[in-house]
Amino acid sequence: MGGAAVTLLIQQVVLGLMLGGVYVAVAIGFSLVWGILNIVNLAHGALVVVGMYTTWYLFSHFGLDPFLTLPIAALALFVIGYILQRGVINRVIRAPLFFTLLLTFGINLVLINLFLVWFKADFRSVTTSYSGTGLVVAGVTVPYVRLAALVIALLLAGAVGLFLNRTRTGFAIQAVGADKDAAQLVGIDLRHVYALTFAVGAACAGVAGGLLSTIQAISPTAGEPYTLQAFVVVILGGLGRVSATVVGGLLFGLIEVLAQSQVPGLGAGWSNAIAFAILVLVLVLRPQGLLGRLA
Amino acid sequence: MAPFLELEGVTKRFGGVAALDAVSFKVPGGEILGLIGPNGAGKTTLLNCISGVHHLDAGSISFDGRRISGLPPHQVARLGIGRTFQVVKPFASMTVRENAAVGALFGSSEARLAPRAAFTWADEVLELVGLAPKARMTVGSLTIPDRKRLEVARALATKPRLLLLDEVMAGLNPVEVDEALEIVRKVHAGGITIVLIEHVMRVVVGVCDRVIVLHMGRFLAEGTPHEVLQDRRVIEAYLGEKYAQRAARGGEAGRG
Amino acid sequence: MSDPEAPPAAFSTQPSRAGRRLRRVILVAFLVAAVIVAVLPLTLTEQAADANLDPATLGIDFAINKSIVRAETTIAMFIALAAAWNLIGGLTGYAAFGNVAFFGLGAYTVGFLTDKQHLSFALALPLAPLVAAVFAALIGIPLLRLRGHYFAIATLGTGVAVGEVIKNIDAFGGGTGLFPPILRHADALFFYLMAATAALAVAATWLVLRSRFGYGLIAIRENEEAASVLGVNTVAYKVAAFTLAAALTGLAGGVFAQWTSFIDQESVFPIQYNVQMILMAIIGGAGTLFGPVAGAIVLEWLILTLAGGGTNAVYAQIGLGVLLAVTVIFVPRGVVDFFGGSSKLSLAYLRRSLRETSV
Repeated sequence: MGGAAVTLLIQQVVLGLMLGGVYVAVAIGFSLVWGILNIVNLAHGALVVVGMYTTWYLFSHFGLDPFLTLPIAALALFVIGYILQRGVINRVIRAPLFFTLLLTFGINLVLINLFLVWFKADFRSVTTSYSGTGLVVAGVTVPYVRLAALVIALLLAGAVGLFLNRTRTGFAIQAVGADKDAAQLVGIDLRHVYALTFAVGAACAGVAGGLLSTIQAISPTAGEPYTLQAFVVVILGGLGRVSATVVGGLLFGLIEVLAQSQVPGLGAGWSNAIAFAILVLVLVLRPQGLLGRLA
Repeated sequence: MAPFLELEGVTKRFGGVAALDAVSFKVPGGEILGLIGPNGAGKTTLLNCISGVHHLDAGSISFDGRRISGLPPHQVARLGIGRTFQVVKPFASMTVRENAAVGALFGSSEARLAPRAAFTWADEVLELVGLAPKARMTVGSLTIPDRKRLEVARALATKPRLLLLDEVMAGLNPVEVDEALEIVRKVHAGGITIVLIEHVMRVVVGVCDRVIVLHMGRFLAEGTPHEVLQDRRVIEAYLGEKYAQRAARGGEAGRG
Repeated sequence: MSDPEAPPAAFSTQPSRAGRRLRRVILVAFLVAAVIVAVLPLTLTEQAADANLDPATLGIDFAINKSIVRAETTIAMFIALAAAWNLIGGLTGYAAFGNVAFFGLGAYTVGFLTDKQHLSFALALPLAPLVAAVFAALIGIPLLRLRGHYFAIATLGTGVAVGEVIKNIDAFGGGTGLFPPILRHADALFFYLMAATAALAVAATWLVLRSRFGYGLIAIRENEEAASVLGVNTVAYKVAAFTLAAALTGLAGGVFAQWTSFIDQESVFPIQYNVQMILMAIIGGAGTLFGPVAGAIVLEWLILTLAGGGTNAVYAQIGLGVLLAVTVIFVPRGVVDFFGGSSKLSLAYLRRSLRETSV
């Protein structure tokens, strides 16, 4: 393999990892809510979009740097998520799983159309001074915003992991995820912990939205593909551990970029088909994913 | 003649733990076999392996000369093996009668009746277990003993030649246990071989021809109820000294 | 014949006297409406216009009739879709979230055969359910091994992926779409075709509910493990139900393709259809015979009246989402529950539903 081909391959790998970083950011919250609450949140993409619009608003109206406003986006989504779970989703959580799916689908529908009403279908973007620039290392281009997104995604994953394993609240959440009846018996308030878990998941979605706003155009339906992709990440990596989501996300990003670059005829329009193919393969061959437990 | 049911070297692992370890025994036709042992000994796992719910990691199971290990559950049922579950699994939205009828509609090759005939047979089975007056009720309104009866009725409706009962007596008071025993005897009188998992010793002694003891997934002992209940190893592993003393004093095994 | 003395599986409990009277009233009203609905399109036939049955002299406004018939056709389509979904989602308990894939496949079959291969509609239409069924059987075998969330999202992914793959294939019209040759003055024909599809779906459900197959499916839904040890071949039955649902859905798609005379990925693989058909079945009563019919009629009528197009469409979607949420929270068993006489729509009922599923 000639030098140019090697460089190209490395470029693809780097792009794949950075795309993977985005997937990790999106999937962390989704995985948490699924793993602990057994809720597959079909409105997750819409929550990401809320994060996008929040970041855009602060950027375009106050000139605040999108990376600096991430905590604000996280906070806003935290509050929204808490209210959503406590007020609405908690009402069907003991029903068959199918009903929570329908409910989150309904919420998704409402959110997307609210965006359409408030923001119209126009595309918006967050372009900073450094948006198009990047490092060039040995012929490989590494865009700054994408690199930052990868780094922050990994930090986010680490933070969530620490939260779950090193704090009292985190333990409570894990307890509820393991055995909610036993958790109740030791005095844990289920309603509150459920809402808290969803809120944390939503906050992660907010951060993901903030990161995505620097990378792609913002529109009401921009988050749709991410729900499905988050699902694939969780299936691929496995449920139950933050590390599983990280592995799943990075791997998914790599597979997508490499498949599209190495397989002739497989262009950008095939990303959903690729995701779906991965999904079916993993579910049939190894349902617990690479690192996870059987959900 | 080939033994009716034969297990050879049956091994089943979950993760690193061997729930069943090289279990082997034979069951001749027409017998009532008791399967006892402490909780976690692998009894239910054994039933699951026989009925095809679990795949074996090693060994084989044969029924009436034909290898059944590896077959899916519905084919095992078709060959004539019926079973109940320890935690009953009724079809909640169906009536008692419809529950039993499902067994008759499917089940062994003797069953698989057309709908009308299936319901007629279901009625007979419900009569046998004493649920006939409640045939049109929904499952939700049944008491626990009745749900257990339904569980047995449904399995019976499949016209099995071998019936596996998993702790049917659990949670029943002594009167209900006697009624259940009557049903077991009636079923047996109809020519059905029975393997039953039980903790209630009165039942084991009262109705079993032979008993097999499992401990930690391994075969521990085998024999008539009396032989087994006096076996040192069984006493140590399961029954306990107090029980053995009481049994020695009372002659017949005491209650529970 | 299933248990002759038991109540039909369409209603889960014996209705009270008042409930029976109500049912009879509704049945009569429904029949009257059905007769009107069925006859109305005849006034649109070209012959009727040509012959001395001049609509103007009969006092009927032709244009309004046309739009009514169009609405009827759409409602019939959703009855078919909801009833078809009910077979796999309601009876068998496997809530597929991507049945729109079969709709699109059926549509594309007809579109491709009539547009690119110049086959007649009559020859192309029977192939629509066939293609959908074959695809369902193939994809069903691996997918139906999954439960709960996994199955739902895997089927959702199927719905999305199939549409995407087709969009990328130029032979199937690629990004531009397919254009079946237009059949003029055929509004009545398409209504009857769609109505026949709907009737077929309901008839299929009725037959299934009375048969061994139906009991097997319901057994699978209630407790799959128990069903299998009782002798139900769960894999075969699930795939059969899935395939049947797909065939009916595909047939509706095939009729739709010729009816609208234009199809592309967006028009025949809309994700919204997934939720609509599910919501209709649930609102009406999943697992029952008439639930999907009632749900489809009510919901689609609502959508058609609210969605005037343009800005209205957005508010209609919001309304749909809210309705979905409210239904799932307060009336998960659907309105058929009320017609069976077992429950009455009251605050107490709503509160009970809520408490059953809240934490």
